[in-house]
Amino acid sequence: MRHVRLSVACALLSCALASHGALACTAAFTGAAVIESPGYVLAWRTQPAPIVVGKHFAVDIVVCPRAGTAAGTKAGMALPQSLRVDAQMPDHRHGMNYKASVSVVNGEGAGRYRAEGLMFHMPGRWELLFELRGVATDRLVAEVMLK
Amino acid sequence: MSRRLLAAGALLLALGAGFGLAPGAAGDGLLPFSTEEVGAIVSHGPWPPPWAADPSNRASGNAAAVTLGERLFFDPRLSVNGKVSCGSCHQPEHGWIDGEKRGFGLARVDRNTPTLLDVRLQRWFGHDGAADSLWAQSMRPITDARELGATPAHIAQLVRGDAQLACRYENVFGEAPPADDNAVLVGVGKLLAAFQETIVSSRTPFDRFRDAMAKGDRQRAAQYSLPAQRGLKIFIGKGACNTCHFGANFTNNEFGDVGMSYFIEKGRVDPGRHGGIKTLNASPYTLLSRWNDDPARSTATSTRHVEPEQRNFGEFKVPTLRNALLSAPYMHDGSLASLRDVIRHYSELNEERLHADGQQILRPLRLTPAESNDLLVFLESVSTFTSPWRGNSASDDPPCVVKKK
Repeated sequence: MRHVRLSVACALLSCALASHGALACTAAFTGAAVIESPGYVLAWRTQPAPIVVGKHFAVDIVVCPRAGTAAGTKAGMALPQSLRVDAQMPDHRHGMNYKASVSVVNGEGAGRYRAEGLMFHMPGRWELLFELRGVATDRLVAEVMLK
Repeated sequence: MSRRLLAAGALLLALGAGFGLAPGAAGDGLLPFSTEEVGAIVSHGPWPPPWAADPSNRASGNAAAVTLGERLFFDPRLSVNGKVSCGSCHQPEHGWIDGEKRGFGLARVDRNTPTLLDVRLQRWFGHDGAADSLWAQSMRPITDARELGATPAHIAQLVRGDAQLACRYENVFGEAPPADDNAVLVGVGKLLAAFQETIVSSRTPFDRFRDAMAKGDRQRAAQYSLPAQRGLKIFIGKGACNTCHFGANFTNNEFGDVGMSYFIEKGRVDPGRHGGIKTLNASPYTLLSRWNDDPARSTATSTRHVEPEQRNFGEFKVPTLRNALLSAPYMHDGSLASLRDVIRHYSELNEERLHADGQQILRPLRLTPAESNDLLVFLESVSTFTSPWRGNSASDDPPCVVKKK
């Protein structure tokens, strides 16, 4: 399993410029943070933004296989077979009280997902986890500081 | 520049210049609060929060429903023996509790009677969150054998058989009490909820302090006592109490294991939230059911995504701290008699018992006697003896006439 970690603070422009894949992945997805792993570029943004402690939020996600872009990928070819979204507070060693559901968003290009039902029920440091299962399993982690 | 931006700018000035940077205790009686502390304090308001109707309950916010719900709340005919009402345990003159360690309806129950003050702000209802709406929670004690001990048929016969109740029911819902007993019970739950939504608490000394801090009004803020200010610093600092008790209502509306006993009595365990989720999932009256009046299910996100986990065992709801002064005894089992006992509990937590499952949220606070006193004074300052509720005598109501449709 490959682990990739990136702070939310390192987002948007700087991350997008660091990778052609990221740039392509986020081209049609404004206001997103970007995380990269050896296999994928993943852009995400929450709804609502910013996250409010104790309130449910959703995450809009675009996944781009490194070999291509979401728009240019043949459906199902290089995209992960599944995407799981979860979160935890590492300092407290607990997760969320709710299980996020992930659905494929159709009609907006390949690699679009929406995770719903998340809630950060305490202020502090959270890790938002994206687990992409394909040929290999990639776990991407974004840190979120919540006041 | 918009009015909102101007207000935000004024708040920033207050945070930066008004309070945060003044070193040492000023002669005006206000302790120095850092910018971060002021932000934490301001986050506990404003109070009261704006009214919002419950979309899952078509009776919510309906004046006629509130009046009828109040009648039903205090009507002992809802119980199987005609002697117990909701108001038997939720007594308005005692902060909407009974003062008992564990409640007593027709028999002794397993948990402490929670206050109904500001109950509309909760996400989950009951100490274990077994209900996801106030109307569903209001039905539970009616049919609990140890509380009101009634059946849906008993409730339906009462409402259908009493001309005044039936008429008022029809005026609220636009139809006579239906033939389906369960539907009448749900209707009664929604009427009771409509009434309980109006049970709101008044502003407290803390709220006046909080608002003064938000406006940068040092003179007014300094009217808040120094022990309360010191206690507040512990609450948002060393104690980190606001990790769970945050926001205007001093709760995250979720659940936690804070080291209380698992046992109701010898050999009988209270599963807490774990049991609550299982009960919820088995209930035909959740926000995912046909009884939800909101076709969009806009308030059902929590219900849709909650699943029991092992760590939920022994977790209980994080209560509001508003008016805690009025709600003794404390904790889900009423085992702590006073707020001082609650502070002592958190000061001397048993870490081995608490962190058996690996979570590391709580640590013993090891408060000095002076710190404990200050924290107590702060908690008392989030209470008020001023109750805005005034009883509405059913005999004051004119006889009901069915409204023309």
